[in-house]
Amino acid sequence: MSSTVDRSRPPSGEPARRGAFPPFTRERLESGLEVLVCAGSAVPTVHLMLLLDAGGAWNPIDRPGLATLTGALVDEGTRNRSGPEIAAELEQLGAVLSVRSDWDVCQLEIHALAGDLETALRVLAELAAEASFPEAELERLRQQTLTEIRRRRDRPALLADLALLRELYAGTPYGDLGSGSEAALRAVARDEIVAFYESHFAAPRRSLILTGDLDVPRARELAAAALPAAGAELPPAPEVVPPRRPRPRVRIVDLPHAAQTELRLGHVGIARRHPDRARFGLLNALLGGKFTSRLNLNLRERHGYTYGVTSRLADRRSAGPFVVSAAVANESVGAAARETVGELRRLREERVTESELAESRDYLIGVFPFTLQRAAGIAARLADLAAFDLPSDHFDSTLREIAATSAEDLLEVARRHLRPDDLALTAAGPAAQIAPQLQGLGELEVVDPDGLDRA
Amino acid sequence: MSSPLATEILRAELANGLGIVLHPDPRLPLVALNLWYHVGSKNERPGRTGLAHLFEHMLFQGSEHVDTNGHFRHLQGVGGVANGSTWYDRTNYYETVPSSRLDLALWLESDRMGFLLPALTQGKLDNQREVVLNERRQRVDNQPYAKPYERLFELLLPAEHPYQWPVIGRAEDIAAATLQEVRDFFAAWYRPANAVLTLAGDFAPEHALERIEHWFGGLPGGPVPPRRHWPLPPLEGPIRATVEDEVQLPRVYCAFRTPAFGSAPWFAGALLTAALADGKTSPLYRDLVWDRQLAQEAGAYLYPTEEIGVLVAWATARPGVELERLTEALWGHLERAAAPPSSGDLRRALHNTLAALWSELESLDERADRLSMYATLCARPELAWSEADRYRALTPESIAEFGALHLRRQHGVELAVVPRSAPR
Repeated sequence: MSSTVDRSRPPSGEPARRGAFPPFTRERLESGLEVLVCAGSAVPTVHLMLLLDAGGAWNPIDRPGLATLTGALVDEGTRNRSGPEIAAELEQLGAVLSVRSDWDVCQLEIHALAGDLETALRVLAELAAEASFPEAELERLRQQTLTEIRRRRDRPALLADLALLRELYAGTPYGDLGSGSEAALRAVARDEIVAFYESHFAAPRRSLILTGDLDVPRARELAAAALPAAGAELPPAPEVVPPRRPRPRVRIVDLPHAAQTELRLGHVGIARRHPDRARFGLLNALLGGKFTSRLNLNLRERHGYTYGVTSRLADRRSAGPFVVSAAVANESVGAAARETVGELRRLREERVTESELAESRDYLIGVFPFTLQRAAGIAARLADLAAFDLPSDHFDSTLREIAATSAEDLLEVARRHLRPDDLALTAAGPAAQIAPQLQGLGELEVVDPDGLDRA
Repeated sequence: MSSPLATEILRAELANGLGIVLHPDPRLPLVALNLWYHVGSKNERPGRTGLAHLFEHMLFQGSEHVDTNGHFRHLQGVGGVANGSTWYDRTNYYETVPSSRLDLALWLESDRMGFLLPALTQGKLDNQREVVLNERRQRVDNQPYAKPYERLFELLLPAEHPYQWPVIGRAEDIAAATLQEVRDFFAAWYRPANAVLTLAGDFAPEHALERIEHWFGGLPGGPVPPRRHWPLPPLEGPIRATVEDEVQLPRVYCAFRTPAFGSAPWFAGALLTAALADGKTSPLYRDLVWDRQLAQEAGAYLYPTEEIGVLVAWATARPGVELERLTEALWGHLERAAAPPSSGDLRRALHNTLAALWSELESLDERADRLSMYATLCARPELAWSEADRYRALTPESIAEFGALHLRRQHGVELAVVPRSAPR
């Protein structure tokens, strides 16, 4: 071995160059359309994203899945073209269209070669204004979705997720996976879909995001021309108010033959625009948001209960779920649940160490540019600004806020927002084996997968 | 436009045999480091499957100068991301770090290449064995269609062929692996001459080379076990089988042996696969899902594997559709692949394949992985740039030739997966 190499301690280095967010333009046109443009790419492609206020938070309470079904139908036929004709035009160009309805917005995205920007914009505008909802396509998608709902029983992770959302958000639009329930899918009529489309997709407040290999002035011009003023103002979705849960409950979705148990523990978290959001993100990184988090080092590296455990806060306009998720060996479910509760309690009881704080803080700051490598990644960040009406310097100010957070701050945030004694616990696995392990963690209820969909 | 990334690639090799590929790109203050070891599950033996992957886990458990979990702690502490993965032919380890911390990443990778064994303990192995058994339950045992998928490869290949067993290994083998076997595996395969180190991102090449020499140059060289090839008697088919699984809908898989990744026919096969199944207007989706509504979903995939390629096509029956009817419809598409694709299908396949390629090259970590792949499997990293031209040069006839030669019933496997008939 070469004697000059000192391996005994990590080589030092300059602190990471703070990755500033790349420059972008942002303006709201007279038509109500907000246009965000960020140019620059290693490859000759562009990414387009149109955000419409058409998310699941607007679903009537007896129509879970309406927003998602409406979104899924917009490329299945327009005033002048069939679904296959639209798909053929894009696919011949190598352009990829995706439509995703989340809780706040419907996101229409096209990833295309740079030369096809204008075509892609025209198609986005067509889908947002001229969808025709042919009966035959509606029936096909209705059946496909019903089948997917039935197939949830093949997927223990989905069953555990759904059980938890039902528990936390019963009686609100958030008590659903987004794709809806069997009853709602059977009942929903074409008129309801058309009405949802007309009021939500044409509302003037919407955002268009263009990133990648493009010329900014020309992109802005094309955007303004492609999406002229449209329909009437839309009132904001009513705030989602979760029901009071009088006592902690443990819900087991019984899968007698499952090789493993999908375990979830969670409670209602905070909304995207909550002033504590950035510090909560730092706390979450330390708890379960990275490989060396407390939960992963405990459940995986110390005990071998699981391949991996994560904690996550879902960002929504109203307070979204905060959930710890793990697939756990059937014999270790009770132990894994108790360790999780213990880790949440510990964060409320004692200050985190300075070195742990530094590791999580530097991780979040250093990793930020990693998400900006692709035009699609930059677009996703800009979509976050647009969907939640965040200021343009939001990312820079968040990084500054994270850098300034102390252990005392995190203790306060944990005490304000972590509720280990109010967790809902759901587990999809063999009830006979796991129910005894979960005694004492709340009132126990066992349902079968079908019972879950009826709930 | 043969490559949008015109910057040239620099190649080097250390005296101990470590291959080096450098692709500077200063747009972001990041550098991606990617290390391919040319060893994977194919270098295991029956009865000891899963060793390569279990070993990958052990490489994150510390080395002589890095404590347990120190690898992740050091990297995450500077804002780096890191992981590894195991595949039939290779195991890769990678991290993306702020460019000012390249030295840290090189220290960590060189320490586990040169100084792993002193830190390897029975306690760590026992812990990671449990983690991997849970990984297998999560990825295979508790996923619909995943156990039958393992059966597909058992039917397609003879018992001694190493693609016959799953990369993650069989549960009983994982449970049986000993510390000595893990040590022997390391000693045989984890040598500089069996690895390629790629950097992509924000660095000065001369400086990077100097730092690589500093950290890796002193590691001992030494021979790598000779490459083996496995005889492959022709498949006497058609082979048909049915297995039950915990699923709601029946599914059919058709699988074929094909030429290996890197060969000219493999690229024809990749374009054929895209022509057949990529996008909503592909024949498979358009006919089976959209028009005739026989399938809930359908797809096809060609494995980029080194010994042979494997093409798998599948379709899941919609409720009320007989699986036999769907199976015949799928075979109809596979047999039509013996004729040249339409110009529209070919254009769609080409453009979608190129778009996917650009997307891979767009991020530093995936770009570095592709460079390592071409350096390892084809000894020419620059093929990562010219891959696009290989697709552009294909004719409809060369694609049809692949279909006619390789997608034949008598050399294929047809596996039906059906819902378990009675409760256990």
